[in-house]
Amino acid sequence: MEIKSAAVIGAGVMGSGIAAHIANAGIPVFLLDIVPQAVKDSGGDRSVVAKGAVEKLLKGEPAAFMHRDAARLVTPGNTEDDLEKLKDVDWIIEAVIENKDIKHALYRRLDAVRKPGSVVSSNTSTIPLEILLEGASEQFAADFMITHFFNPPRYMRLLEIVAGPKTRKDAVDTIRKVCDVRLGKGVVHCKDTPGFIANRIGTYWFQAAVNAAEDLGLTVEETDLVTGKPMGLPKTGTFGLLDLVGIDLGPHIAKSLLSTLPEQDDYRRVYRENPLQAKMIADGYTGRKGKGGFYRQTKTPDGKRIRETIDLKTGAYRPTVKAELASAKERSLKGLVTHSDKGGQYAWKVLSQALAYAASLVPEIADTILDVDAAMRLGYNWKQGPFEMIDALGTAWFAEKLTEAGLPVPALVTLAAGRPFYKVEDGRLHYLTTQGEYAVVERGEGVLLLSDIKRASKPVAKTASAALWDIGDGVLCLEFTGKMNALDDQVMALYRKAIEIIGDGTSGPYKALVIHNEGDNFSVGANLGLALFALNIALWPQIEQATAEGQQTYKALKYAPFPVVGAPSGMALGGGCEILLHCDAVQAHAESYIGLVEVGVGLVPGWGGCKEMLYRHTYNKKRPGGPMPPIAKAFEYISTAKVAKSAFEAKEMLILRPTDGITMNRDRLLADAKAKALELAKDYKAPEPLEIRLPGPGARTALEMAVEGFHGQGKATDHDVVVSGELAWVLSGGDTDITTVLTEDDLLDLEREAFMRLVRTPGTIDRIDHMLSTGKPLRN
Amino acid sequence: MPTYKAPLEDIDFVLNDLLQADNLTKLPGFEDATRDLVSSILEEAAKLCENELQPLNRPGHEEGCHYENGVVRTPKGFKEAYQAYVDGGWQGLSMDPKYGGQGLPHAITFVLEELLISANMAFAMYPGLTQGAWNAIHTHANDQLKDTYLPKMTTGEWSGTMCLTEPHCGTDLGLIKTKAVPNDDGSYSITGTKIFISAGEHDLTSNIIHLVLAKLPDAPSGVKGISLFLVPKFLPTEDNQPGQRNGVMCGSIEHKMGIMANATCVMNFDDAKGWLVGEPHKGMRAMFTMMNAARLGVGMQGLGIATVAYQNALTYTKERLQGRSLTGAKEPEKAADPLIVHPDVRKNLMTIKAFTEGARALGYWVGIQLDQADHNPDLKARAEADEFVALLTPVVKAYFTDMGYECATMAQQMYGGHGYIREWGMEQFVRDARIAMIYEGANGIQALDLVGRKLGQDMGRLLRRFFHPLAGELESAMEDTDLLEFAGPLAKAFGKLQQATAIVAQRGMKNPDEAGAASTDYLRIFGLVALGWMWLRMVKVANAKLAEGGNGKSGFYEAKIKTARFFVQRLLPEVDFRFKALMSGAKTVMDLEADLF
Repeated sequence: MEIKSAAVIGAGVMGSGIAAHIANAGIPVFLLDIVPQAVKDSGGDRSVVAKGAVEKLLKGEPAAFMHRDAARLVTPGNTEDDLEKLKDVDWIIEAVIENKDIKHALYRRLDAVRKPGSVVSSNTSTIPLEILLEGASEQFAADFMITHFFNPPRYMRLLEIVAGPKTRKDAVDTIRKVCDVRLGKGVVHCKDTPGFIANRIGTYWFQAAVNAAEDLGLTVEETDLVTGKPMGLPKTGTFGLLDLVGIDLGPHIAKSLLSTLPEQDDYRRVYRENPLQAKMIADGYTGRKGKGGFYRQTKTPDGKRIRETIDLKTGAYRPTVKAELASAKERSLKGLVTHSDKGGQYAWKVLSQALAYAASLVPEIADTILDVDAAMRLGYNWKQGPFEMIDALGTAWFAEKLTEAGLPVPALVTLAAGRPFYKVEDGRLHYLTTQGEYAVVERGEGVLLLSDIKRASKPVAKTASAALWDIGDGVLCLEFTGKMNALDDQVMALYRKAIEIIGDGTSGPYKALVIHNEGDNFSVGANLGLALFALNIALWPQIEQATAEGQQTYKALKYAPFPVVGAPSGMALGGGCEILLHCDAVQAHAESYIGLVEVGVGLVPGWGGCKEMLYRHTYNKKRPGGPMPPIAKAFEYISTAKVAKSAFEAKEMLILRPTDGITMNRDRLLADAKAKALELAKDYKAPEPLEIRLPGPGARTALEMAVEGFHGQGKATDHDVVVSGELAWVLSGGDTDITTVLTEDDLLDLEREAFMRLVRTPGTIDRIDHMLSTGKPLRN
Repeated sequence: MPTYKAPLEDIDFVLNDLLQADNLTKLPGFEDATRDLVSSILEEAAKLCENELQPLNRPGHEEGCHYENGVVRTPKGFKEAYQAYVDGGWQGLSMDPKYGGQGLPHAITFVLEELLISANMAFAMYPGLTQGAWNAIHTHANDQLKDTYLPKMTTGEWSGTMCLTEPHCGTDLGLIKTKAVPNDDGSYSITGTKIFISAGEHDLTSNIIHLVLAKLPDAPSGVKGISLFLVPKFLPTEDNQPGQRNGVMCGSIEHKMGIMANATCVMNFDDAKGWLVGEPHKGMRAMFTMMNAARLGVGMQGLGIATVAYQNALTYTKERLQGRSLTGAKEPEKAADPLIVHPDVRKNLMTIKAFTEGARALGYWVGIQLDQADHNPDLKARAEADEFVALLTPVVKAYFTDMGYECATMAQQMYGGHGYIREWGMEQFVRDARIAMIYEGANGIQALDLVGRKLGQDMGRLLRRFFHPLAGELESAMEDTDLLEFAGPLAKAFGKLQQATAIVAQRGMKNPDEAGAASTDYLRIFGLVALGWMWLRMVKVANAKLAEGGNGKSGFYEAKIKTARFFVQRLLPEVDFRFKALMSGAKTVMDLEADLF
């Protein structure tokens, strides 16, 4: 069975977000909600609720739709007039209020209209499947399951599936597959227990984390400092995350868990009423969505914006102070939890409880430790899952310390008997089963992870900032390995090495190259720190040489006698975007944010980015006629540092070609890219160089006038004018005229000359300096 | 007996023709610091130095300070000379008018410092320390402390000290043991022993204000747990007169190699009453306010000593007849030619001349930038000047004082055996010059400061303040045929400096020992390039003056050009050697196991 259409009932934050994401996957979806009483009474649009929700989605940040065209796939309606339309729908998702009677009533109505074999799933987070199915028909029970999304549905990768004893296996498989492949989710199978996996452990952790901060007298900032990087729980920290998800959510989930959890559950022991949070909620301080939370932005009497933090003891706001704890500088988790200061004490207090709690819940809530670790990583953004963290501490050490502290040792930890929960054997990752044996961690079909390859092999070649891996079938994968995946001469050197190793792509063992990595971001561009240092000491010739080398390396990849496929995920900015522009094809993760942002640091793209954007827009068959439109488009995108907010937007900007692929699930990206590379490798021919003729000074003047206009209106700064002027010079072809054919190297010379003029301006150096010291662009 | 004449002509050239110090009058607060006023102040300073202070230099050296039961007496005549110094208002020259100072630019005190050192270094240190302590109090203390102490320190009625070093630690101040215990009245009781305290005790002023580093009871360990306290020798009375004696006593004075007339004291604090300056545990920050200014001052000591040693050597080599010129008698009517005909003697003279005149230009320029950093109303310009000063501070301190000592021995050498005889005074310059390489952060520490702290700060932002203007000037100078012979070698040396900078940063990031092993060579390269730059600029000015007819000083300008030529051809090549040594890396330095030495 295939899911060709879907419906979501309930257009709240979750329901509408789920509908948007189903539309992102290209699946048409109905979004239905009730007809409000006011409309019933006095008329008006009966689908106003669902329509309003779509409007809100289109305006909201972060964007729920990957491209505004996706919104057209959402058909809003209401549950009174439009239920009939669901008769052809393959999958109906219920996301209405958490009230079993309302849900039951809805299910009866759905069951009456839906087609046989269609799947109905609930997005409940608190009501057990068993209760949802009370009074349901046999057929309904066979077609029913829970699909629990996390907020916001487009961005949170976790999807918990709970199937009942009667649920059809093929229905589960179908939904699992569509969620995995089409929606890009990390699907975790849960048992029908309260809070499933992530919220069960997450709620416990929140409670233990808030308790420990109170008991040990840590400030909000100190708590978040330790929680963030050192403990590897979300970057926002404990209180920062509470602000993000909404402080008012906690009591709902707590109440639900307390009413459904087993009598002996440890959550009951750690649960405390929290008068401060109760007061904050009552006063509207529910977090970022409210008037503020544990942190808030406010203005001083003289209008200065300041950040304030709540004092956990008094409940009063005070200016935020940067926390400093020696323990937070510890590199290892063990170093942290054994540190004597209060940060170390805090980390141990929280982890000893939360990790033990998580360990005690397998197999009660999940069959394997894999599901638990995945749920916490994907659903709560923990850097490592609980079992991975216990491994970092050592199972024996952890058991011993729990015993010392008078805490019970979970059965699974005892079962491990000093062995790790995960181990690598024969180059493959294994995990400990509930039987106490090791089993291989199986990746699904179509999943290829570079991390698995790295476990099993040594790089074919490497430099200080990149490594080259054999990913099988004659395909090499180039991985950036520098800090933040920054690009430098070491990356360039490995590109050249890869060209040498692959050779003509037919006579040796290798025939194609994929550029991919598993970092949060593909690459945010060139190593600015190195560049700035070189700029500061006026090493102009070396900077020019590095620029020229980058240009020639990217060009060599473009014309190499073998296919090169880029496979980005996350941000691909500046030089990271330019490499994609030089690839023969790109297989992009849908959540790729690609753009030429060089002007933010006062530069023009210098590694062929201007050139390729000119080609893309010039050879775009759908473009308007005349020499100006392609230049104007490239100028618009580059001069405003526009970044595509998804792979779909990148296609619209022609950063991606129409033929480039998009993969929704990150874990499937490399396999898709590899398949693409192999496909291209059949009878591969390097591209023919393209001719281009540009109008020269006249076009430049036109662009400059436009910028002057923005400058006059205060929309462009002084240095924007300088940078845009150079960009206009490059894109218009310098001192050329429309009869002259420009070669690729001509364009590269223009880029480089403009680049070199800009790096010597104080305005550009100030921008780079500012970006490095503050992480924000300078508007000078 | 050595003599001294303030080099007013060269000073005028540097301040006015080269650096356009007049521009300082455009900064708020400096409106009065016109060229005329500055030159008349410097003429007066020259008189004081030449007539009052210099004659006391050798007698002070011979007599030294006297210690008896906690009381220190300075050599004969020092008290009167100090009185003349304070009566002339010299102490408050660049101090804040709010506290009775004259608020003149720092650049002028840089000149004054040079003159004072040339005339009498041991004497000059007494007011110099007051200036350092004054700066720290002015920047970090609360208003009450400022109002109580600064006016009397501005007049020179009271003097100041910096009490950092303890018997077991100097450079590594994180180890200090001196304790400060809070009293109920907001003051603190300070207990501990400090050593090497210059001007810690003496008979020149009615009160001595010690700035003391100590640890509070709850202090974190290391340098982040140090606080700064103000501890007066006499607690001020209600009407701000020296009152009750405080629990601070001089235990002894050191017997040392030079600066004999300056009292270097062991100071014992025994429940001495003091007040916190700045925030608790932030004493290092306050101390660096003292140190940074003091380091530049010490750099000027290198220049001062080299200048006076040069002047005397020059007189001697012109007068002393010894041997004949290698190319035939130059003064056949006399029994022998003067020493100055001999190439090796001339090489020594030229070396000192090229160093002192270049260093004067650089030192005063840094002084002017310090004024820009304090007074420029444009915050960006202010920050840039501050970065320039921060970058150049270790270079000025270490390079100038290393060269000060080298020049003093070179000058001594020209005297032959007489240089070794006390009454000729040359041995005193050698002795006095030596300490400048050691105190206020030994020169090895300065080199570490440069490569470890200044180089990498904000990805080299400080470097930009030096490298960019120099790169720009070189580019245009290379186009100018009159300048090419100077700009060419300097451009090459600058290229080496750029390369060394990149290499030190790169290697140092991977292995800090690499940066450490490169540091002193690197600092020397930096110093040489900086002086080369000054010489390029001086040639430009001299060329322009000569083109205008020389204004009756053609000889002076021609000498500048010839000295510049000597510098780029005979001194600047040291860059090549230093570069080669630096590039060889840390391995040979670190290779030998400690027990195999």
